[in-house]
Amino acid sequence: MRRLCVFEDEKYCNLYPLTFLRPVFELKCGCTSLLDKILSNYKGAEVCFFVRDYLSPTFKKKFPTAPINDLSILGNSDLLLINGRWLVVDSAVEPDGREEIGLCDGDVVYARVSQKTAASCSADNIQTFLEQIKSKIKTRSVSADLISYPWDLINHNGKIIEQEFNSLGKSGIEGKFSSFSTVYGEQDLVWVAQSAEVQPFVVIDTTHGPVIIDEGATISPYSRIEGPSYIGRETYIYGANVREGTAIGPMCRIGGEVEESIIHGYTNKYHEGFLGHSYLAEWANLGALTTNSDLKNDYSQVQVYIKGALTDSNETKVGCYIGDHTKTSIGTFFNTGTVVGIMCNLVGSGGILPKFVPSFVWFLNNRFYKGYGFNAMLNTARAVMARRNRSLSDEDVELMRFIHTLTKEERQTALKKGRKTR
Amino acid sequence: MPSIEERVQKVVSRLLGVNESQITDDSDFVRDLGAESIQSIELVAAFEEEFDIEMDEEAALQVNTVGKAIEFIKKDIAEQH
Repeated sequence: MRRLCVFEDEKYCNLYPLTFLRPVFELKCGCTSLLDKILSNYKGAEVCFFVRDYLSPTFKKKFPTAPINDLSILGNSDLLLINGRWLVVDSAVEPDGREEIGLCDGDVVYARVSQKTAASCSADNIQTFLEQIKSKIKTRSVSADLISYPWDLINHNGKIIEQEFNSLGKSGIEGKFSSFSTVYGEQDLVWVAQSAEVQPFVVIDTTHGPVIIDEGATISPYSRIEGPSYIGRETYIYGANVREGTAIGPMCRIGGEVEESIIHGYTNKYHEGFLGHSYLAEWANLGALTTNSDLKNDYSQVQVYIKGALTDSNETKVGCYIGDHTKTSIGTFFNTGTVVGIMCNLVGSGGILPKFVPSFVWFLNNRFYKGYGFNAMLNTARAVMARRNRSLSDEDVELMRFIHTLTKEERQTALKKGRKTR
Repeated sequence: MPSIEERVQKVVSRLLGVNESQITDDSDFVRDLGAESIQSIELVAAFEEEFDIEMDEEAALQVNTVGKAIEFIKKDIAEQH
């Protein structure tokens, strides 16, 4: 079998801050990550990865035996290169066949490359390698779902949950399900895993799609879960209204109302407050009554800060995108299409926050502050992670330090903007 | 032109809502002047604004009295101006 190469192309930065601490293919859509879906199409394949150099030490810990950013192996065997932004459940390209490059709007979706062609290239990075093979191999225009912006993940989420439910081949109630709870809609569109528990007075609504409640998850009384939705492993739902198109990763604590959102994992939103059309990265914590707008009052299309510039999303429903380890206070309000970096501390002051919050800042009394500094932020992260029996590795710390430097300029700009001139 | 000491007093008075006459070099921001932890962040930013300096936030937040803040600011002014 060909060696499978999953690569990041240069559009990872459209998905900042969600991709600051992870390759683009570790983002979630549906029940699993983009990478999980790619790998499930090629079980048993030898795999290698090409990611940003600064992500290599942390990513290596997840795939200790897989070559990462090793260009020297590309000429050793036939290859199937897959763009890590490709959202594909069960219709990936055949690994065998003649040499071919699939292009979607100019982006490489996949490439089947012979060992001979690969060996004839001399590239010093994966982007150059892709450019070189484009001149050697026939290209074909293909239709593919490439994730280009955060809202793409949200828009596909419900559909992908349905597809993954169908692929899962599991349905029914294997775990505890109180006789005081009910499934409203088709009964076989629910899967409650063996170690999951649905407590009394819960409504699971399958009239619009399936509901998956994964191992160890607990749904507490007065919760309503509308399909298509996915509740991840060991996650607790506390009397929440989980609306359709929502995927919640492992070890989350969720209350209030959540609609068409992705909560990556290890994130808390215990209390009342609305979260819609949003993506929360890991280890975030939203204080009580934190709420985001996902629709402008004039129903116009939402603009979002991408790479420092307001960008048309061409969508009317856009929530907020919040980076890893960011915390909000009670009563924090996010404007439609807000982007918040990693490790921020946001204190609601009654008004709506700016639409772009750079990483590693505090927001308090309507202006940005440096807060207690980088090391204090690390200490908070350590304390938070310890509560879930996780820890920050040296590699994690170095990655955060790198991102702290990478984001310095945008942070300084925001801090200076808040200063009163003398 | 008011002295650095007077300007520090004014900033502390304005931010913490205490009378300038109550502020001495020995005043502890938390114990004597009632600063909440979150106000320490605002104090650092206010000193930066007042004196047009960049303070190392982690070192600055170790400072617990008004007198030590004055010394800290004087050192930063000498280095940065």
